[in-house]
Amino acid sequence: MFTNLVFIILFMIGFYALVMKTNLIKNVIGLNLMEAAVFFWVISFSDIGGEVAIHKMGEEMTKFNDPVPQALTLTGIVIGASTAALLLTLIIELNKFSGTIDREKIEGLND
Amino acid sequence: MEIPTETQPEVESLNKLMKKTLISVVLAGVAFALYQNFSLMPGYEGLNVGLSNYIIESGLKDTGSLNLITAVLYDYRAFDSLGESTVIFGAVSGIVLILSRKMLPVSSKGLSFIVKRTLGIMTPFIALFGLYVITHGHLTPGGGFQGGVILAAISIIFSIVYGSAFDYRRYSPQTKTALETGGALTFLGLGLAGIFMEGAFLHNLGFLTAETGTLISAGSIPYINIGVGFKVGAGLAIIFYSMIQKTFEEDF
Repeated sequence: MFTNLVFIILFMIGFYALVMKTNLIKNVIGLNLMEAAVFFWVISFSDIGGEVAIHKMGEEMTKFNDPVPQALTLTGIVIGASTAALLLTLIIELNKFSGTIDREKIEGLND
Repeated sequence: MEIPTETQPEVESLNKLMKKTLISVVLAGVAFALYQNFSLMPGYEGLNVGLSNYIIESGLKDTGSLNLITAVLYDYRAFDSLGESTVIFGAVSGIVLILSRKMLPVSSKGLSFIVKRTLGIMTPFIALFGLYVITHGHLTPGGGFQGGVILAAISIIFSIVYGSAFDYRRYSPQTKTALETGGALTFLGLGLAGIFMEGAFLHNLGFLTAETGTLISAGSIPYINIGVGFKVGAGLAIIFYSMIQKTFEEDF
């Protein structure tokens, strides 16, 4: 329950930044916050109170947490970093051509 | 001229107010929908049945990797990891294509002498830690992606402390490109070797397995880790250096 509430709050902060802010870099930050909320939720959802799924040499197998969501979250983090880098690059380029990173002040897109 | 100057601000502020109200309603609706969704969702059943149970029960036997997360990433779902590194490759290619200028990256002259000497002492240890995280991916927490990010951090610290032209001269973009391509080709080559020797793309290579818990065990997982580590490190360094490039040569 607590996990769900934290997820909703984080996700809504990210969504707010994505929708309300006109600064494009703040939009990218909002997108990353939404991603972080999803990763947080996936990891804490699959936490059943066990250990990280790594065997230790010379010890009997104990209760493990689910390894599959953790592996998928690693995939998601890497892809999120790649998309954020590409978006920031496009913002750099946009700033060079139009002189602003405010999405409501961009001019010359109609040509 | 007088009429618009008097009415325009009012209309604009009204517009803004309406927009804000509308967006607030949308935000509240989304939050409520998420809350409803969670209250309807079934609880987590645990790991007694299904895929996760199978991986926990027989992952060590199947792959020889102590770290089951690495086993999922580079053995059971190695195809996903291949796609993931292709996404990084695509991002690097796009960024370099957009920002290509063929200029020396110059933005700073570096920090003071003390910081430079301290980093000179610390750099080998940072590199050693990165390589440790990469090569022990199947034994301890870590792996190719995490260690690669540590290696890329060395490159970024160099540009902050020694000035941004230092890293460019020491390790040219050609070197980084060769490292990245080599990592990707290692991954693909191991996948093709899986076809010829085991009968499936990216199948774990059986003849490479050794005693469980040693450094070179777990089939092709350590080699894939090394390839991915160098690929990610070089890729992130290329992204960073493309972003800090300057267009003006006179700063140099």
